[in-house]
Amino acid sequence: MDDDNSNPFRRMSSRTRKVAPRMAAALASSDNRTQAALARLEALENDNAGMETVEINDEDDSSLDDEDQGYMQKRQSKGTKRKTRQAKALENARKAPRTFLELLHEANLESLPPHVPSYLKAAVGPPSSTSRRHFCTVCGYAASYTCVKCGMRFCSRRCQNIHNDTRCLKFVA
Amino acid sequence: MWNPVVVLDNGGGLIKAGLGGERDPSAVLPNCLLRPVSSKKWLVPPSTTTSSSHDDSFDFTSAAVRRPLDRGYLINPDLQRDIWAHLFSSLLHITPSQSSLLLTEPLFALPSIQRATDELVFEDFNFKALYVADSPALAHLYEASRRPHVGSRAAQCSLVVDCGFSFTHAAPVFQNFTLNYAVKRIDLGGKALTNYLKELVSYRSVNVMDETFLMDDVKEKLCAVSLDVARDLHMARTSGKNNLLRCTYVLPDGVTHTKGYVKDPDQARRYLSVADVDGDPPAELGSKEGMDHFEITEKHEDRKRVDLTKNEFELTNERFLVPDMLFRPLDLGMNQAGLAECIVRAVNSCHPHLHPVLYESIILTGGSTLFPRFADRLEKELRPLVPDDYQVKITTQEDPILGVWRGGSLLVSSPDFEAMCVTKSDYEELGSARCRRRFFH
Repeated sequence: MDDDNSNPFRRMSSRTRKVAPRMAAALASSDNRTQAALARLEALENDNAGMETVEINDEDDSSLDDEDQGYMQKRQSKGTKRKTRQAKALENARKAPRTFLELLHEANLESLPPHVPSYLKAAVGPPSSTSRRHFCTVCGYAASYTCVKCGMRFCSRRCQNIHNDTRCLKFVA
Repeated sequence: MWNPVVVLDNGGGLIKAGLGGERDPSAVLPNCLLRPVSSKKWLVPPSTTTSSSHDDSFDFTSAAVRRPLDRGYLINPDLQRDIWAHLFSSLLHITPSQSSLLLTEPLFALPSIQRATDELVFEDFNFKALYVADSPALAHLYEASRRPHVGSRAAQCSLVVDCGFSFTHAAPVFQNFTLNYAVKRIDLGGKALTNYLKELVSYRSVNVMDETFLMDDVKEKLCAVSLDVARDLHMARTSGKNNLLRCTYVLPDGVTHTKGYVKDPDQARRYLSVADVDGDPPAELGSKEGMDHFEITEKHEDRKRVDLTKNEFELTNERFLVPDMLFRPLDLGMNQAGLAECIVRAVNSCHPHLHPVLYESIILTGGSTLFPRFADRLEKELRPLVPDDYQVKITTQEDPILGVWRGGSLLVSSPDFEAMCVTKSDYEELGSARCRRRFFH
């Protein structure tokens, strides 16, 4: 129910918010380009989840229609005792949904014997041919040149200028 | 005593749900909660099967999305409970405590996720019994039932390529069991493709980073798989009206139309009618791939001039480069083999006696296989990788989104379904892990 408190976040797309810290870290590390590429790949699985503050709601049923109340009765009855702020924070941390990668890490699949099929072993693995087609990040056509600063591709002088103006090392915003 | 069995294909993108024994699910809805900009509440999106006025009034524009599934696996049971509660009470009108449930679960679900699923089913909803199925086996079951005449060999085993919302699996199925040691996965699905398209369009023309549902629509209507990327790239460069690929998508303005649409469906269809032969101009503009569902929304004279009052963007090479990533994930920087190689590796992990049979019954299922020419391209890439004396035969489903659900519906109608289930008392006595052994997970 604390949806209505004034939001300190500037309204921006969720991608910028999620990727930017990772991008910043990537720039600081030695292997910038691969890190940035990985962060970009991970961004492909993002949703626009809206403001993060919503996650801290301690009422989960904010979305429900009236007819679903029956399912909720049980869960509400237990929350009669008043909680301290710290207890609430702990509770939220416990209840907060974890990402799949965290769960995967927790499951410790590496410890399974090698013959047991698992999520990790089902991944298809690297391709047999490593030749990669490069497309211009500006216009999408075949790109023959690489930016010396950031490693992104462009195809022509025109696209290079656009790249330098808009993209090159600009993602730290 | 007969009790209803709910068949629930709980996908990362769409929930397909209905009662067992029926041909089509009665509810298909996005598996997420949405919060439109105009609202402070998280709402369950409307079912896509019911085309009521309520459907049109829902404002998807810039809606924030929360999904209970991440990369195909259940990560937020609370959210899933809210969605299911709405589904069972308002859409399916069933009482869980008097019904059984057939639920699909992605392959290789982690033990903690299986436990969370069981808790959700038995403790929160009190279902009487549960059967957990995996989608390749159900897709195989449905296809096998549709072509009993093909021969017993093919009916017993097939290779299911499930290219859905979260990932793509190539899974050999033998006698209705998925051979899990041979399953191969590419971490690319419809969601990643939509996000990729979103990124390209946002960079090149209009910022649509928050418009997930709009871009889903763009992807479904305008993207197609290329049979010859080099040729199509060349074609996309031509200027003016000769460009067969260029087409315009009009964004909703919120006043006259609340949904985006393709500005000129004929123009968009031209690319699909390009013949396979190099340099052959499209002779006929007739609809080829069943794309008749475009509605003609504009008169011919309107389309000549650029309408500045409308927000619109053009697509050219994005139309085929986006789905192309499924075949070449490396181009995206993802160090994984493409779909054709993925299939070959899955087959090679099986017993050699199965190889010829698997290659000749490849079943495509999942929403991302709906791109026009998907099967043609796959066959073109697969043929050189498969030994000469094996036949390659790719079967497309008539409705790849619902194929798995229909298989589930069939399985429920089989007489021994009840015996295969885990009942609530089994669960209470043995716990989650022991019950799961029954499904050979």
